[in-house]
Parts: sequence; C-alpha cells; structure tokens
Amino acid sequence: MRVLVVLVCLLSLPAAANAQRIEIGGSFVTTGGYDAGEQSAFETPNSTNPNAAPFTLFTTSSTVTSAIGVEGRLAVNVSRRVAVEGTFQVTWPSLQTRAADDFENAPAITAEERVTSYLGGASLVYHFRTGRFLPFVAGGASYLRQMHEDNAGVVTGAEIHGGGGVKYWFGRRFGLRAEAGLSSRGTSIGFEDKRQTVPTLGVGLNYRF
Amino acid sequence: MKRMLSAALVAVVLGATAPVALAYLKLGTRQGTALITLRWNSMPVRYFVTNRDVPNVTAPQLRDAAGRAFATWAGVPNVAISSQFVGFTGATPSSGDGATVLGFTNRPDLDRVLGSTSFIVDTVSGEVLESDIFFNSTFAWSAASAGETNRHDIESIALHEIGHLLGLGHSMLGETVNDGGRRVLGAEAVMFPIAFSPGTLNRTLKADDVAGISDIYGADTFRKATGSVTGRITKNGAGVLGAHVIAFNPATGAMVGGFTLSPDGTFVIAGLEPGPQLIRVEPLDDGDVGSFLDPGLNIDADFQAAFYPKLVTVPRGGTSRSVDISVVAK
Repeated sequence: MRVLVVLVCLLSLPAAANAQRIEIGGSFVTTGGYDAGEQSAFETPNSTNPNAAPFTLFTTSSTVTSAIGVEGRLAVNVSRRVAVEGTFQVTWPSLQTRAADDFENAPAITAEERVTSYLGGASLVYHFRTGRFLPFVAGGASYLRQMHEDNAGVVTGAEIHGGGGVKYWFGRRFGLRAEAGLSSRGTSIGFEDKRQTVPTLGVGLNYRF
Repeated sequence: MKRMLSAALVAVVLGATAPVALAYLKLGTRQGTALITLRWNSMPVRYFVTNRDVPNVTAPQLRDAAGRAFATWAGVPNVAISSQFVGFTGATPSSGDGATVLGFTNRPDLDRVLGSTSFIVDTVSGEVLESDIFFNSTFAWSAASAGETNRHDIESIALHEIGHLLGLGHSMLGETVNDGGRRVLGAEAVMFPIAFSPGTLNRTLKADDVAGISDIYGADTFRKATGSVTGRITKNGAGVLGAHVIAFNPATGAMVGGFTLSPDGTFVIAGLEPGPQLIRVEPLDDGDVGSFLDPGLNIDADFQAAFYPKLVTVPRGGTSRSVDISVVAK
C-alpha cells in the first residue's frame, strides 16, 4: 500500500511533451512459491477424556511451487518519467501435497496438480531518470484468476504488486527490461485462507512507438 | 439381507467389539443389475418407543435420546428429514407389525451386538415401509448427558442405528487394534460399525456421515454445491472388489469414503466439497467383511494401502476425471 501511495502522488507531476509515447513489451517471469498449509487426517479418539489427542491416520503438508511464465505489457508514458502500464501474466505453478506417516504404512507420496494462474491489471511506473539506462519503480493491482487442472475449479481474487528494475534502450525502439518485486494475493490456490506474498522476477524486451 | 416375499428384511448390527477403517455406504436392494437405494419416501418418520425401562435408562429417557438423535440427522443442512414420536408402546421392536418401534430387548445370545436395525422395504422402489431398532439390554446403558463410566451412551448408539433406519450402511472410517479383543483407536464416522468403549460419547456427525445422508436425502442445492470423485482400483490389471477409497480434503481435514462395489473395481464418492482432494485406498483388512458388504462377495484385501499421486480437484456440481489407482499385493 505504501508503494501505491507514492505512485498516486507521482501522478500529480506535470506531464511532459513526449507523454504520448507508447511501449509494448514481453517478459519471461518467475514467481516464488509458498507454504499452502498443513492438515492431518484426524479421527475422533476412543477416549472418555474430551481433551484426548486425536488419532492420526496420516499427515499432509502442502506447498505451491515457484513457477515460470510469460507477461505482456502495454504502457503509455504520461510524462517524461511516469507511465501507466497494463499487464497480463500467465504462470504455471504446481500445488503439491506431501502425505506421510500413514498408520497403515501407505508409502509417503507427493501428490500434485498443475495450476494455471492468470493476472490482469495495471501499474504505475516511475523512472528515476531519462536516457538509455532507466531505473524505475512500479506498483499496481491486478485481478487474479487461478485454474485447477482440467479447469475443474477456479480461484479468483485481487492482487497488489510493487517492485523496481531497469530498462536499457539499445536505440530508439528496442530495449531490455529486468525487474524484481513482490506480489501479494488476498486469495490464491492453497489450503490456507490467508494473504500470500511471493517474490517475482522478470526479464524481457520492450518496443516503443 | 434376507428377502421375505415381496419385501426384504435387512439387519445391520453394531458390534461391541471388532476392527475397521472406511467410508459411507448406502443400504439398498438389487433389481437385476440395478441397485435401488433404501429411503423413506414420506416424512415425517413416525415411530414408537417401547414402554420398557432398563437400569439407568427409562422409557421417557430413551424417547428423549431418540428424539435428539433424529434431530441431529435432521439438522444436516439441505436434507429433507423429519420425525415424529407417536407414543409409547408395549410392542417389541420387531419387523412385520406395520409400526416403527425403538426399544430395548434382552438378547444375551448376541453378546457382541449393542443394537440392530431391521427393515420392511418395497424391493422394487426401495421405499422403507417399516424399520425397527432394538438396543440390547444385556449391556449396561446410560442416558446421562455427560455419559457414565462403564455404560454405553444410549444417544450415541441411537444416532448410529437411526443412521441405518434412514438408509445408511456402515462406514469404514476408523481404526482398531487387537489387544485381546478388538478395540477402536479412532473413528471419523458415527456409522463406523464398532462402538467406542463404554463411557464415551459419539453424538456428533462427521463429514462422512453428512455426505452419506445428503446423498440419500439431499436437495438439489446440495448436489449443485458439491461434487464427486470417480475412478477404478486395479491390481495386476484386474479390478479390486471391496477396496475402501478415502477422499481427504487438505483444506479442512474432512474425510469421506466409498467402496469399490463391483468386480471391475470402480467407485464413486459423492457429496464432496469442491476443490482439491487427496485420494487414498486401503484394503478391508482388519474388519468383518459382513459388517460392510455381502460376505459372499470375492473381496480382495490383499494389497497395500496407497495414495493416488495426483491431487484431484472436485468440480462444483460435477464429477472429477477418472482416478485410476493400481495397487500391489502385500
């Protein structure tokens, strides 16, 4: 939220003469994984003690793996240093559940499914300087849509993100972009009802008109 | 299951001792190759209670315990179940008199049976016409709200037997140990066939019980809000009959089970919360086969318990892709 507040303030900067410049770009991205919860297969114990520990049939712990994917961008420079950017990203993490400690000695196993994760949203980008080498910070919000394997279920929610990186323009049109940041999702694939914040990295090319 | 003319008499018992670990079954009759689920087609279920007291449990206390047990089943969301106590009766809880009766009967010959439920059903439609529950007064009973040491809680056992009366078979979600007699370690279904030790209470329905009763009496809203898993269990390429399959929800810890009920090893588990489920299969290896399935069936219990190596997402209102698990001999 702090990043967002800063960027909203930046919007009040006066627009520059070349504010109509449009950039498109694409990157390979990677997102970090996170713990997705632990849960045991408990059974009610045969005990007259109401505080007796439950009988455990087996235990599980789950994770969402780090993922790779692609991102597309369309940016409009509203001033020499500020741009508004629309983004669309798709990544393919896995949801994994480790089952172990089975009472009947079922072999421990990691069960998984592939998830397709979509993000569509907008960011504000502030460049610290002009020229070929452009350090920048960016932040924004997205709509998150994650599909279970076979499209058998969907999780949707809001995401906010912030980070920074650099652009390097080889000439008037083509440039390289590398960035790192954090993506925080209020709802996401997993077995815990809590916000998950994951690191993100991206490297790609930009083209400006 | 014994057939009597055009009707069928089905007796399901709750043993005082023995082992197990599995999921919900629906009682039914077979018409050709079709299985017809037993159910009450008209509500409320009108029942009598015998006017016989036993030590520590009077007839009014049995009436009250049965009323609470009926209410527990009726309290499952989105199921159409209701009941009505008609009155006390001098009749015994035996089939064929046209009345549904719950009461105590002294059966010292059934020294491992706490209670039993019998039915008169229309074998064509599956409609339950009459059902009777007897509680074996050979055992020591209690109606105390907190239970009593060395006495079986009448409400807990009534909850189980009324589950049968409503059409549920036994669940195998439980584990036992044999230490000079079968003793339950834990169970996660009221419909587990082996009772907890005297003095314990088991008055709360579990996910498996809820899924089972909802499968029989659930409204369309239930079916649209839940989903099912289907699949096949095989060993050396052939179907496994009588395997117990559990769907475990890693988000909630809820377990619901089902059985492979045909020689090709196919199974269906309905009434599951939408979302990813972990699937586990185990043999009917420490229980009395007759507590769950027809003992004349060729049940294969010679295989190792196993997990399915993929998470299976249950779609809301639909069925998952087929879950095919190949098991190996012990």
